[in-house]
Amino acid sequence: MKRTIAGSLVALLLAAACGGGPGGGPPAKLTDGKLVIAVINDQSGVYADLSGKNAVEAVNMAVEDFKAKYGENALGGKVEVLTADHQNKADVAQQKAQEFYERSNADLILDVPTSSAALAIADVAKAQQKLYINVTAATTVLTGKSCNKYTFHYAYDTYMLAQGTGVTVTQQGGKSWYIIYPNYAFGQDMESSFRQAVIAAGGTVIQSDGSPFPNTTGDFSSLLLKAGSLKPQVLGAMQAGGDLVNVVKQYNEFKLKDQNIKLAVGLLFDTDITALGQDALAGTVYTTPWLWNMDDQSKTFADKFLKRTGIRPTFAHAGNYSAAWQYMDAVRRAGSDDADAVVKQLEGYKFNDFFIRNGFVRAEDHWVQHDALIAQVKPKSEAKETFDYSKVVSTIAAEKASRPLAEAGCSMPK
Amino acid sequence: MEYIALQLFNGLVNGSFYALLSLGLAVIFGVLRVVNFAHGALYMLGAFAAYLLLQDFGVGFWPALIVAPIGIGIAGMVLERLLIRRLYGLDPLYNFLLTFGLTLMIQDGVRLRYGLQGQPYPAPAELAGSVSAGLVAYPTYRLFVIAFSIVVCVAVWYVIERTRLGMIVRAATERPELTRALGINVDRWVTPVFGFGVALAALGGVLAAPMRNVSPLMGSELIIFAFAVVVIGGMGSIAGAVVAGFLVGVLASLAAVFNPALENVVAFALMAIVLLVRPAGLFGSLEARS
Amino acid sequence: MRRGLAILPYAVGLAVALALPRVMYPVLALDILVWGLFAMSVDLLLGYAGLLSFGHAAFWGLGAYAAAIVAKSAGVPFVIAALVGAGASALLAVPFGYLATRRRGIYFAMVTLAFAQLVFYVANEWRDLTGGENGLHGVPRTFPGLTLGRSGDFYYAALPLILLGYAIAYRIVHSPFGHVLVAIRDNEPRAQALGYPTWRYKLLAFVLSGGLAGLAGGLFALGNGFASLDLLHWTTSGQAVLITILGGIGTLWGSLLGAVIVLELRDALTSAPELSGVVTGAVFVVIVLAFRQGLWATGRAVLRRLGAPPLSARIEISEGEVRHGRS
Repeated sequence: MKRTIAGSLVALLLAAACGGGPGGGPPAKLTDGKLVIAVINDQSGVYADLSGKNAVEAVNMAVEDFKAKYGENALGGKVEVLTADHQNKADVAQQKAQEFYERSNADLILDVPTSSAALAIADVAKAQQKLYINVTAATTVLTGKSCNKYTFHYAYDTYMLAQGTGVTVTQQGGKSWYIIYPNYAFGQDMESSFRQAVIAAGGTVIQSDGSPFPNTTGDFSSLLLKAGSLKPQVLGAMQAGGDLVNVVKQYNEFKLKDQNIKLAVGLLFDTDITALGQDALAGTVYTTPWLWNMDDQSKTFADKFLKRTGIRPTFAHAGNYSAAWQYMDAVRRAGSDDADAVVKQLEGYKFNDFFIRNGFVRAEDHWVQHDALIAQVKPKSEAKETFDYSKVVSTIAAEKASRPLAEAGCSMPK
Repeated sequence: MEYIALQLFNGLVNGSFYALLSLGLAVIFGVLRVVNFAHGALYMLGAFAAYLLLQDFGVGFWPALIVAPIGIGIAGMVLERLLIRRLYGLDPLYNFLLTFGLTLMIQDGVRLRYGLQGQPYPAPAELAGSVSAGLVAYPTYRLFVIAFSIVVCVAVWYVIERTRLGMIVRAATERPELTRALGINVDRWVTPVFGFGVALAALGGVLAAPMRNVSPLMGSELIIFAFAVVVIGGMGSIAGAVVAGFLVGVLASLAAVFNPALENVVAFALMAIVLLVRPAGLFGSLEARS
Repeated sequence: MRRGLAILPYAVGLAVALALPRVMYPVLALDILVWGLFAMSVDLLLGYAGLLSFGHAAFWGLGAYAAAIVAKSAGVPFVIAALVGAGASALLAVPFGYLATRRRGIYFAMVTLAFAQLVFYVANEWRDLTGGENGLHGVPRTFPGLTLGRSGDFYYAALPLILLGYAIAYRIVHSPFGHVLVAIRDNEPRAQALGYPTWRYKLLAFVLSGGLAGLAGGLFALGNGFASLDLLHWTTSGQAVLITILGGIGTLWGSLLGAVIVLELRDALTSAPELSGVVTGAVFVVIVLAFRQGLWATGRAVLRRLGAPPLSARIEISEGEVRHGRS
């Protein structure tokens, strides 16, 4: 009994944190009597821990909490959550998306890490005229060349990462950069974003080099040797996942820190910190949309999530919760699950919740603009628990963290 | 110039892993006529064994360097007894496919338990330092990897080419019927030889653990490079595997000086050239092999 | 009467092909047919020439990219785009085949695998053309007078081309050329002694097989609307080989059965992802150890026991296993 009271209290708190108008109002009309949310992500590969099955759990939590706040029938019918593993393959992602939209009458597809899979689904959403909110892919192409009426990009992108880490580190005195990046779309995107950000902040990029991708040998020593000979103040590593782990390992091995070459990391997930050990990264500055320990309302969510899954949420878990919530809220406001009506509700919408601060859905390219965080990895000695990895250093205002519309290159079809 | 010289060392480090893997492949192929696709997965198991020994039993790098290869080698012998043995009478392609299936199972089994992200593993304290080399400090551990691999490769070559045991193994390879007729029990050597080849892969894995991300897929691309190395060196040739391994490592690293993208391509380009000019490989002879 | 019976299996096959999108998701149905064609191209080499290509992803992927690029940039009808894919792959198969057929058996497998990996790296680096890691998206499929937006419609539009691919594979196998291939497979020195330029035969088989794989890959890209790097990865080659041996080496039509099982399995595994690699690997191991004759031959044996007429009375070269002894 006690637990249920505590549980509903938490739910209420969360619901309050998620904002939106007061409860009540007439229930929405659902075209097929139910609302179907499909989470497509990686449940077996590199991103399985970042989002994966627990992201589905987060969406389930959002549905329960939404009902707790607005009543069982707030949306006028059942809310169903479906899921599939795209195995990081674009073809599987595309097929599952099509099947969910066409056969399961999915109203929304969520999450979708891996840029090729993310972009493939954007095409499907456009063709099927159904909603798609991407949370875990980093590519700016989603709100650029591939932008369309039904696709939204929610949590972060490469532009945000560069504006955060690139600018902050340069302003803190890391003026000369040597950038290494994995030689594929994501890495190149990161390289050019960081180059621009560093130069705009008054720094210089001495040189930048691509590393082969995939890096079969896991060896980055030639680039690190070069870093030693170029003597930059900052080594900017744009690698992700396992490649990043190797770069950091070998950065420590070559003792570049002792030569006053600072390491700046383009993209860092909690899962990378787990793989490297917290101390190997201690002091590293990076950009993230969210940290579970950033404030009380986030901690409230994190506690509930921990109880349910046994782990602290990554930003991807929180982002999926938040995106699902905001979608359901848009359906509630629209009074319908009709995709066009929901898009109309979302475009230009301003909101705050435990995940999104100063949120604003840009109508022109469907980028969901919001504040970003500069975070720093803590040494293990400062951690209060296993997942207590990082602390917030500063906040980047939403407008600054968002790519200017003129640069987006999106011509939104109406 | 200094940079290029140091790059040479990097090439030798990469070459060490190619050489150890190809050497194991060559030894196994020489005696069993099996191309072991699972070699990369077993290399990965070696690294994981080192990680687990440290994590769960507090056993450090040096004991792991002995224990892990022996353990994985024994597992390899079990594999040979239970599965690979059943296909000896058939086209070697079937064992290639069998070990391919095993690769998927091993990789995924490890992934199920530990995820794909990778596990941390520190270098042994004795070698954690570095040697001053002008531009940068070159990690001592890397120098150790080069030296250690060369010693292992030379030792294996010596045993096979210069000792009585090696003579038996070679005889069994080239003239199995004749060797049998001389009263030597060839079959007795099959399982240990497989285990030995597997142990070499696992040894490579342990050596890699402090330098590379310990993850389920760490051997999955490496095995294809090892195949290319083996084709370049000449299948079944011990010296060929070692020389080609270091050659590919060094050439790839030097190519990376000009353009990092070339690093992945060098092995395959070299393979194409060798196939054109000397199809049997640098150290191979056609008639005995194909 | 006899003639009617001989045609019967084909009529049944055609009826199944026509009904397929009604009983399953059309995209999956199309995938089964093109993967079947892809696996047939592998079987053409493995079952009839005794050459295991572990690098056919190169041809499948190149066909897909070539078709996608032509369809996107020139907006040609899908039939032309698919044929361009086939042509590009056949062209690539010439140098690869030239080098790979210098080695036999297990070396051939390793060499093709390595070359395919080379193609993977090149496609990854050549981003202007291939879109790199993102792949190529929004590949249009057009044909004058037809609207092909829905996947069910495209299935029927593509069917004739797929059947043409099957027919070509069938013709190759049952032509004098195919018989020479089998002779080479069984005893190459003997075929050489009989005056056949065996190396040229093998090269031609390799090029034809590459072309068919390219056709299948092109249709796959058009059907799904994209081409991505996965198509070139070595695990794709592995999947094609798996389909081939599951269906039965040297049976040609077995590849279709194999494709049904493997793709349905893959589809099912998207909801039980933790098992995907373990299950696929286990299927491989079990087939190689205990089920080498494959589905086709097993099915035929069952039918025969039930007293039905043989499905194909023409040629029975490949009931058993490919046996070269220890090479």
